[in-house]
Amino acid sequence: MNADESTGKHLVHELLGPGPLAEQVTEGCNGEWYVRVSGTEFLPLVTAFASRECALIGLFCTERFSPGAPFSLLYVFEKKGVLLVIVLDTAQSAPSIARLLPSACWPERECRDGFGIAFEGLFDERRLLLHETYPDDYYSLKKSVANVPPLMKPSVDPSEEYPFRSVQGDGVYQIPVGPVHAGIIEPGHFRFSVIGEKIFNLEVRMFYKHRGIEKLAERRLPEDVVRIAESVSGDESVVNTVAFCIAAEKIAGTHVPERAWALRTIFMELERIGSHLGDQAGMLVDVAFPLGASQFAVIREEVFRINALLTGSRFLRGMVVPGGISRDIRTEDLEALAQFVRQVRKRYRTGLKIVLSTASVIDRFSPTGVVRRSILRPLNITGPTSRASGGNGDVRVDHPYGIYSRHPPSVRTLHDGDVLSRFTVRASEILDSLDLIERLLTTLPEGTVKEAYDAKDGYTLSLVESARGQNLCWVWIRDGVVERYKVRTASYCNWLAIEHAVQGEIVPDFPLINKSLNLSYAGTDL
Amino acid sequence: MNLSFGLYLILNTVAVLLVAPLFVSIIKKVKARAQGRSGQSVFQIYFTLAKLLKKETVYSSHSSWVMRLTPYVSIAAMLVAALFVPLVFVPEPVGGIGNIILLLYLLALARFFMALAGLDAGSPFGGMGSSREMSISAIIEPTTIIVFAALVFVFKSLNVFDMFAASAAAGAPSTPTLILLAISLFIILVVETSRIPVDNPETHLELTMIHEGMILEQSGKNLALMELSAAVKLTLLMALLLNLIVPFGLTTTLAIGTIAVAAVLFVLKVTVLAGIIGLFESSMAKMRFFRLPSLFAMAFFFSTLIIIIEVFA
Repeated sequence: MNADESTGKHLVHELLGPGPLAEQVTEGCNGEWYVRVSGTEFLPLVTAFASRECALIGLFCTERFSPGAPFSLLYVFEKKGVLLVIVLDTAQSAPSIARLLPSACWPERECRDGFGIAFEGLFDERRLLLHETYPDDYYSLKKSVANVPPLMKPSVDPSEEYPFRSVQGDGVYQIPVGPVHAGIIEPGHFRFSVIGEKIFNLEVRMFYKHRGIEKLAERRLPEDVVRIAESVSGDESVVNTVAFCIAAEKIAGTHVPERAWALRTIFMELERIGSHLGDQAGMLVDVAFPLGASQFAVIREEVFRINALLTGSRFLRGMVVPGGISRDIRTEDLEALAQFVRQVRKRYRTGLKIVLSTASVIDRFSPTGVVRRSILRPLNITGPTSRASGGNGDVRVDHPYGIYSRHPPSVRTLHDGDVLSRFTVRASEILDSLDLIERLLTTLPEGTVKEAYDAKDGYTLSLVESARGQNLCWVWIRDGVVERYKVRTASYCNWLAIEHAVQGEIVPDFPLINKSLNLSYAGTDL
Repeated sequence: MNLSFGLYLILNTVAVLLVAPLFVSIIKKVKARAQGRSGQSVFQIYFTLAKLLKKETVYSSHSSWVMRLTPYVSIAAMLVAALFVPLVFVPEPVGGIGNIILLLYLLALARFFMALAGLDAGSPFGGMGSSREMSISAIIEPTTIIVFAALVFVFKSLNVFDMFAASAAAGAPSTPTLILLAISLFIILVVETSRIPVDNPETHLELTMIHEGMILEQSGKNLALMELSAAVKLTLLMALLLNLIVPFGLTTTLAIGTIAVAAVLFVLKVTVLAGIIGLFESSMAKMRFFRLPSLFAMAFFFSTLIIIIEVFA
């Protein structure tokens, strides 16, 4: 293997084809590639990418990134472990590529609402990020707009109300659900078109609590943005912070000590275990099998308690900082963790055995809510949802970060794509994570846990594998402070999987399918 | 109407109202224990009902008189139905009281009004609950009639009082076919009281609700009455099953001593049955909605078998 092959440069050249573009490509701080294209080069290039099975995994806008252009659109493509960012400078408008690459649909509408960029040929022109009560000509993500709640319209003209897709026909009726739900659930609206109990169409509407997270990070020191990254989505606190820190450290060239990486990895895997256990318990509650659910709910609570013992926070907050972790963990606490991992594995297996040997549970789980493999790449569906449907992507393997290159997880792939597969994939991943934590604890290197971090200017992309899938983060630091912080969590893409998974299923199965996909509202409504 | 029947009317109604909430709680407690939780006190439900009775009743602006009338129709129908199923003391039947067909349709009346009230408030979840309840009842009703018909064949009487008197006199299941019938009655009990695997009384997920969906818009004292009706229904169906299959203690003589013994025995028997229901519910997940007819078919099969046995044996 020559140098070009190991960095993926040959693939970038192959994708860009012979010509001037291949000469202009530059490498980013974290191994990604950037190429700036003109308006005329853009569409033919993207068309070629779409036909060559590249996945569009991110699309976002930033201001004054290129000299002379007010806005730059960054399109992040992935193919075979290579990340290529196309930079398209624009004054006001850009061609829509959502017809070629459906995963561009939400981000294009987001850029339009947030920055006022017009996308020509956008097939879905409805509002996304800012609902109809926001004032006209208000663009929440622009630098010139203050990050405070604007004065909302007191009322909305019926003609401006959000038009849901309606299915016509005899006996078709709509069921509106949300945005306020029973139980403690975040806001989201689901519009079902059904005949009797059968679902013909589901449309999801999100973004009821646009928090201005990305803007909140701007003009702040990277050390302070850590707190903001932690609050993107509660049970992805560690992994989103790690993503931000990787970007900041790569830009600054900070070397993170081995011990810090081992502990960070332990935290990330604990977070994954907690999240997966919560999903498994939830799925069992939704099929009314609380006896099985309690097996997992109890272990989940114990994981949170061990988190609190290790770090003082049930969600492991306050630990990950640029340069390493904020403080070392005491040896006796690490021993408590090792003991916990040993005893919990046995109990977890018992719980799994109870659940998987209960025929009535299997009958509800299979074959319910199938996510077909063919939608994975077009919509960029990732995480356990994708791996349960025949996908084999895992950021920890495809773009290893930290010490995952030395401890690659086995990618657990199943092919049925139903609720049972998603349940089983999570079960395997929990056991793998427990193994990894145990391995890391026995080989934990000594030494410091934090290297001095000195912010440098620059920009880079980082990808991490959260419990829900691929989280993307793009950080641009200018004058020592964050100029732009873009987060795209796995849920942002995975939400659309539910619209496909419920088709032909019955309404009472919807909560189960929803839970099996484990989508975060907070991670979507930034 | 003689004195003993008059006493029965009062005592049976009071007893049912007093103990019914307790039995609902016992099932909850057993389920909580099965999950490794300690669960709330079995007497909590009385405080909850007392609280609801004091609270304000809120009506949707879309609702009509149906919403206002339903709680009263429901509790009235249940209390009359409860008179058809003596808990501890079986008097001589008077008039139509005790007629098993009438019992069935008293339950149907309450169900019909509950379904109307579910639609009345205009919430989509109430409508879905009503639609599912009616689909289920359309399938379960023929099964219930066949099960009751089997009872009639076994006891050669249409009156529950006569059936109870016969089994009390025998002191044990009078024929082995009753054991088979117990399975059918248990399934009817589960379906009629909206329990797992048919419905989940503990869910917060409106989209999966059946019974809870229909009473989602009820509040305050109306909600208390609906909850109480559900508890009375559970108690009377449990009493029907127990007093036919394990009748010991059930008395036909009006004496304080025998009635006291019968009452204690009855509470014990119901507690055991509630425990069985709790464990049964814990052992399985809720069925897929469209698989439910297969559960009903089982009840149908056993009772048809009994009729064949009774007719040709």
